[in-house]
Amino acid sequence: MKDEWDVIVVGGGHAGIEAALAARRKGCSVVLISAKRNRIGEMSCNPAIGGIAKGTIVREIDALDGSMARTADATRLHFRMLNRSKGPAVWGPRVQSDAAEYASAQQSYIGNRGVEILEDEVTGLEGLTEKVKGVRCRGRGCVKGKAVVLATGTFLKGMLYRGDEKWKGGRIGDISADLLEKDIVKRMFHVERFKTGTPSRIVRKTVNTEELEVQTSEKTNFNFSYEKQMICEKEVVCYITYTNRKTMEIAKENLHLSPLMAGRIEGTGPRYCPSYEDKVVKFPERISHKIYVEPMGYRSRYFYLNGLSSSLPREAQEKMVRSLQGFGKAEIADYGYAVEYSYFHYTEIDDTLRLRRSENVFVAGQICGTSGYEEAAGLGLVAGANAGRVAKCLEPLSLSRMNSYIGVMIDDIVSKGADEPYRMFSSRAENRLHLRQDNADRRLYLTGDRFDIMSDEKKELLTGNMKEAERIKYILENETVDGVRLSKWCRRPEMSVGKIITVSDALVDSEEKILMSVLLDEKYSGYIERNLRKNESRRNLEKISLREINSYMEIDEICWEAREVLERERPETLARAERIPGIRPTDLQGLLIYLGRKRSTWNNSRAGEM
Amino acid sequence: MNSISPEIICAVATPEGTSALSIIRVSGKGSFGLLENIMSLEKNRLRGMRRKVGRISEKGRTVDEVVAVSWPEGKSFTGEEMVEIICHGIPQATRTIMEMLIRQGARRAEPGEFARRALGNGKMNAVQIITLAALWDTEKSKKVFNGETEESCMKLLNKIETAREIVEGNIEFDEIHLDGDGKHIRSVFCELMARAKDFRRKAASIEKSCRVMIMGPTNSGKSTLFNVLTGKQGALVSDEPGTTRDGSTCFMEVRGRRIQICDTAGSNGIGLDRKASEAVIRGLDEKDRVIWMSVGGRIPPADEVKKRVGEVIEIAAKSDLKDEMEMKQILNISSVSGEGLENLRDIISRVPGSMSLSGAAERIEESIKKSYKFISSQEYDLAAEHINEAEIEARRIIGKGENIHLSVERALNSMCVGK
Repeated sequence: MKDEWDVIVVGGGHAGIEAALAARRKGCSVVLISAKRNRIGEMSCNPAIGGIAKGTIVREIDALDGSMARTADATRLHFRMLNRSKGPAVWGPRVQSDAAEYASAQQSYIGNRGVEILEDEVTGLEGLTEKVKGVRCRGRGCVKGKAVVLATGTFLKGMLYRGDEKWKGGRIGDISADLLEKDIVKRMFHVERFKTGTPSRIVRKTVNTEELEVQTSEKTNFNFSYEKQMICEKEVVCYITYTNRKTMEIAKENLHLSPLMAGRIEGTGPRYCPSYEDKVVKFPERISHKIYVEPMGYRSRYFYLNGLSSSLPREAQEKMVRSLQGFGKAEIADYGYAVEYSYFHYTEIDDTLRLRRSENVFVAGQICGTSGYEEAAGLGLVAGANAGRVAKCLEPLSLSRMNSYIGVMIDDIVSKGADEPYRMFSSRAENRLHLRQDNADRRLYLTGDRFDIMSDEKKELLTGNMKEAERIKYILENETVDGVRLSKWCRRPEMSVGKIITVSDALVDSEEKILMSVLLDEKYSGYIERNLRKNESRRNLEKISLREINSYMEIDEICWEAREVLERERPETLARAERIPGIRPTDLQGLLIYLGRKRSTWNNSRAGEM
Repeated sequence: MNSISPEIICAVATPEGTSALSIIRVSGKGSFGLLENIMSLEKNRLRGMRRKVGRISEKGRTVDEVVAVSWPEGKSFTGEEMVEIICHGIPQATRTIMEMLIRQGARRAEPGEFARRALGNGKMNAVQIITLAALWDTEKSKKVFNGETEESCMKLLNKIETAREIVEGNIEFDEIHLDGDGKHIRSVFCELMARAKDFRRKAASIEKSCRVMIMGPTNSGKSTLFNVLTGKQGALVSDEPGTTRDGSTCFMEVRGRRIQICDTAGSNGIGLDRKASEAVIRGLDEKDRVIWMSVGGRIPPADEVKKRVGEVIEIAAKSDLKDEMEMKQILNISSVSGEGLENLRDIISRVPGSMSLSGAAERIEESIKKSYKFISSQEYDLAAEHINEAEIEARRIIGKGENIHLSVERALNSMCVGK
């Protein structure tokens, strides 16, 4: 093994994997450091990839040549297109994967791509914060690198809770990264605590599935990846059960034993993925909650109980599980628990996912305050690509929020942060009708091309898609049916791909998925154009730089509170300042007036010199 | 779709109504060609900074004889290729020219779009725009509301928020489906539409009833001022006190805003005049503004007038008669010499009621209807788009949760098209 790499990735979760691969595609030598080689790529929580907005992120990752989409396709056992009846702009593809297969597929994928793996514990950064020399490991000592990506997930000073049990760990069966956290705190970074949790895993054969509602997989030709590849032939069914009055009562009786309720956990949990205890407290009027029963794999002996995350003591969890229809004799293999971990405050991170105070340290995944595999992978890809670019002395990549969910996510977390783990929602995107799952390849093609993020094969494939879309667009613009231009004709509500193909010979042999996607572009084009127009004024604010302001404390035009906040946050542009909590419109107008005055005196004095 | 196609936009830049001349602005790449086409000029005749006289004809009939002034990219107000068409201010002709431009591929500009493009191309900074908009809008827009209308709008916004939460919730969480037959969302939207209608009616009633009354003692020059301001010889004028008895009314454009202005009978406290002026005072409303004029500002407005209306603008009239002048801290006006008239126009232009509240209310109503239509056809993505639109509009009116993004936007939108 070498002793110096271009990029060091700390952590082998969904973020770390995409980071390592993105840096590799940039031609960098990459080492991924993980405490346990065989747990790289593990699905620590549910065995599923995708969902509303999340599924679109997965497709964006594929458009930028990441691995999540491919691996999810290759290991999928169950597929559903969520929101199918709610409009194609918000369709959310979601698959159940074989968790064990997923991890091993990811491991061999990164191995094949030449990412080196080092089994060790990272105990700190090496060298000055402004420009680190690498990382320090417990076993190997100093590992040198030109850039570092921290993707520690829940491991950063991870603390696990269940009832009154409390122990150190990043995840059940894994150590926590306490020394690394200590080092980060020593370097005066602002870190905070979040918590999350996972439900119990049930022994499959002890569940009477006869008593459960069945949810079969949809028959489909859908692929997350734009590449044509084999889809896993295997298929499983999922089940649905419901919590009932008894479940609720058990939870209520044991509430005082919950580490969260008893105040032992200080971190904030995800509002949209709450524990069952949280649901009981927040929605006391709802007696029944839906629980999805998902097999952990094709041959796996375990079920995952989606919707019954809990950190109550073992006995309470057991009683709760057994109160469910079909689970009367169920045995729990792994009990649910909560995990509390450290993450970087948003003010520490810039829009390329670099730590503002360091030239070459990047962050991705839960360490940025997000939640979810897809979010982590999307961030990992950007952080890894940028780490690679730093190592190769190239300008950084940043994504626009008008063009991708990944762009929306990064912009949100670095400009306003979150007071709970950040989950992607489609409504966070103002250009939602454009950010669809069907057009991720075309949306991101230019970015991928410009920043040279794709392998040659991928580029060839996507270039083909672009050309086909252009060809279809040309036909729609130029051919007519009964004197009506096709592009207009196809907007009729009763129109379908099948019908359109029949009216034009040139469309008969067109790629169906691309045709569908272009038709959606047509359908939404009026709205999308309007959204882009609206965004214009926002971009104008982005053009107004605040960098030339040395001290906010002397700006009389704005109030004292705002001066303090701005002095601390130092936004780069007016658009950023606008979104800092506590900054009011009057302060921004004050800033504008100040800037205008300052610039005119500056111009005058310069004119005087001449 | 990475950038917006720089479309050609057009708008009438002068206030509506009959005038000697009218200006139509056209901006965007391709404007020169468009104009050369319409004016039947040879190709490239407008390229560069040019002035061309020409005829615009439609189907062989001359619409108007116009002057086109062109600016090349980088040299114009918007920073884009731009043409100003100076035509005769006959509304019919102006309208026809606009229609021709649109048929040829231009798009009607949105309010403030010229300024927005100027900002985008670095021809104008945000400070200038906001300052410009401040001159335009002023903080007085708040006063547009009476409590009742504001409350109506708040309630509407409240309902819109509820509806939007339902729609968005339905999108974000697949497991949430509309309760059974969708009764709940139907009832929410029913109430929402009723609220929107209520608000639209209230908004419309405010705008109609907001007037500027010219009042004051007899023979202080009210009718002369009325005539000068409205550019009409509508009111009978004479040196004989008490010439105006019935008063006259006129809608006029002041600084691009539509305002109802009324001339009233003067009050000297006796007989017929007194009765007429008392009737005027009884008819006053808190939404009205009064211009109280007296020669040299010697007679203060009556208390009952002050009590009834929102604001009294005191002016000293006939300031050209210097010998009668007394120094007072009020606006000096001479309708004869024109002194102080510009100031007065500024003041009048800030009178509430000129903000297009009912226009906004109509847009909200329209958005809600569209949103509901898309819910019925199960297109939640589009339903969300429209209900979102309604919420932004309602927030803009109330000024709730506004950030500078919205405020610049609002500033731009509050400006007249083509400015």
